[in-house]
Amino acid sequence: MARWMRQTAGLATVLIVAAGLWTPAAAQAPIKIGASLSLTGTYAALGQNQQRGYRLCAKHVNEKGGVLGRKIEFVVYDDQSQPATGVRLYEKLITQDKVDLVMGPYSSAITEAVANVNEKYKMPMVAPMASTTAIFKKGRKFIFMMQSPAEAYLEGLIDVAAKKGLKTVAIVNEDTLFPKATVQGTIELAKKKGLQVVFVEAYPKGNTDFSAILTKMKAANPDVIGAATYFDDAVAITRQMRELNVNPKMYGVTVGGDLPTFYQLLGKNAEFVYGATQWEVELPYPGSKAFLESYTKEYPGVDLSYHSAGGYAGCQVLAEAVKRAGSLDGEKIREAILKTNTDTVYGGFKVDQDGFQISHKMVMFQWQEGRKVIVWPDELAAGKARFPTPPWSER
Amino acid sequence: MNVVITPAMVGQVVISGLLAGALYSLVALGLALIFGVMRVINIAHGTILMLGAYTTFWSFHILGLNPYLSLLVSMPLMFLLGVLLQRTFVRRVVDAPELSSLLLTFGISIALVNMAQLAFTSDLRSVEFLTGAFLLGPFAFSKSRVISFAFAVTLSLFAFWFLQRTKLGKAIRATSQSREVAMVCGINVQRIHLYSFGIASALSAAGGSLVAVMVAIQPEMGQVYTFKSFLVIVLGGAGNYPGALLGGMLLGLVEQLSSLFLTTQVSEAVAYLLLVLVLLLRPTGLLGGRST
Repeated sequence: MARWMRQTAGLATVLIVAAGLWTPAAAQAPIKIGASLSLTGTYAALGQNQQRGYRLCAKHVNEKGGVLGRKIEFVVYDDQSQPATGVRLYEKLITQDKVDLVMGPYSSAITEAVANVNEKYKMPMVAPMASTTAIFKKGRKFIFMMQSPAEAYLEGLIDVAAKKGLKTVAIVNEDTLFPKATVQGTIELAKKKGLQVVFVEAYPKGNTDFSAILTKMKAANPDVIGAATYFDDAVAITRQMRELNVNPKMYGVTVGGDLPTFYQLLGKNAEFVYGATQWEVELPYPGSKAFLESYTKEYPGVDLSYHSAGGYAGCQVLAEAVKRAGSLDGEKIREAILKTNTDTVYGGFKVDQDGFQISHKMVMFQWQEGRKVIVWPDELAAGKARFPTPPWSER
Repeated sequence: MNVVITPAMVGQVVISGLLAGALYSLVALGLALIFGVMRVINIAHGTILMLGAYTTFWSFHILGLNPYLSLLVSMPLMFLLGVLLQRTFVRRVVDAPELSSLLLTFGISIALVNMAQLAFTSDLRSVEFLTGAFLLGPFAFSKSRVISFAFAVTLSLFAFWFLQRTKLGKAIRATSQSREVAMVCGINVQRIHLYSFGIASALSAAGGSLVAVMVAIQPEMGQVYTFKSFLVIVLGGAGNYPGALLGGMLLGLVEQLSSLFLTTQVSEAVAYLLLVLVLLLRPTGLLGGRST
């Protein structure tokens, strides 16, 4: 009996192995792309948008025959908006799940943390949602930037303010990597344009009451206020500015102000608020119309933001690079990405030898009657800025 | 780049501190109640606050119910949930070492947060009601915060009166003084535990309904209130009810004033530094631990 079983088992093994050898290319196991995203926690809304971009890209790549004759498939885990969790998850993806490729997580803070992991395993990572310059200037070889750098986020606000003859700027920021870089960049830009920075203060992540900062800011009486934050703080600060009657002539936010939810939550209080964005649906980039159509078909009634487009385009850049490299070898894919110079649905993509983005452009919009109207730069502007922002009592 | 701090700014920040502090007091009172009566540290306290906030959000969003009226929904609902949690889980760890109750309530908290994530998603929600402020001279009083403050103070004082004057309140205090003696006097201690957990949950839910009009609602919002409530009850004296009220106000003021005079970044550190100081100088808290 035992012998019979052994023989059958042996035969079965041979058959299974043979079947594996004879499988045609199209039916091979898919190429697994690992990523951790902030599906819950502070960055949840944005991380989920990014995930939809990844998934849609996989669908489109597979419809066009996949990569290297194989389909691609995302393995996504939730890092709960925590860098430490992200690090653990990329370790798991690479060593336990044995993914073939990786894509970046959401936010600069998490990318900065996980970039050491993919570097260690020489696995190229296109990081669609990291815009802090420092990440790419530390001698790492396997991390590639897609966005305009954090330093440029409030460039539009400062540029328009200078053109309108405003003199003073105040900045409030979350005390994390990305907002801090925005503050540095904004201070530089303000100096260059002849504006005086009269007040800067950071607050810790998770802070919910901005009364004290805003009280000080109000006393500094700036012409322009910039908030370098993420979504929920952008909402909270806007609300409290109204409550404490802080009335700058221009007020701009960095991340999250572009989400439709920003206007839904704030209603009329979002009017006149400027926002920075890496991408907008109506920007005339190649393929963006088709992207919009398939996105709304795939995810009806769901937020579409630059996180989705960036995730989509980043995954496309990676897929193209793998095709040109002709292999899943990290070094070869790296070479292919460094040679890439293309226009994606997300805008230009070209990186320098450090993987730092040099082609992509930032835009600024203003909320006008419930719509985001692009007001800067002039060559992409769809409308004029409503200036100056009236006091809260007159809105 | 530094701003000169004027008396008007100090006044404004004191107002903000008191407005925030009253809510801390209200929520911490619940935590103090559970700790006083059962010696259980309820990590899920803030989680119940989150559920209270969602109750307000949904009743506002679907039924158009006034957020302040929704206290009438969230408080009884969370009272029942509290009773249920006590009856099924917490009861088992009342006499166990404190680590068991920490682990258990931590587990309950994780389970509830994840259920909320599944049920409500982690999208940020907000109740846009009474935005804007009353302006009085140089001072701005946020409308939603002022009204929440009034509710929080009223509820806290009512809860305090309830503990001091009613028969059930006296039984609760008796149980927290000495369970054995309370039992000898014919108090049904099990029932007191149920009521205490229920009332504490209702207070936390009230806090949730009141912050719902001020901050973004999401499944993990409760955690920070658990921590703050902790801080408050240790400041005021663990299990000491007037101490919790005082501690809440103190925390609100310390947070805001240190944000003003130093920076917002260090305000949390200052609050915990204060805690360390209190523990060094008055280990039983400002008003002493576990009084009546």
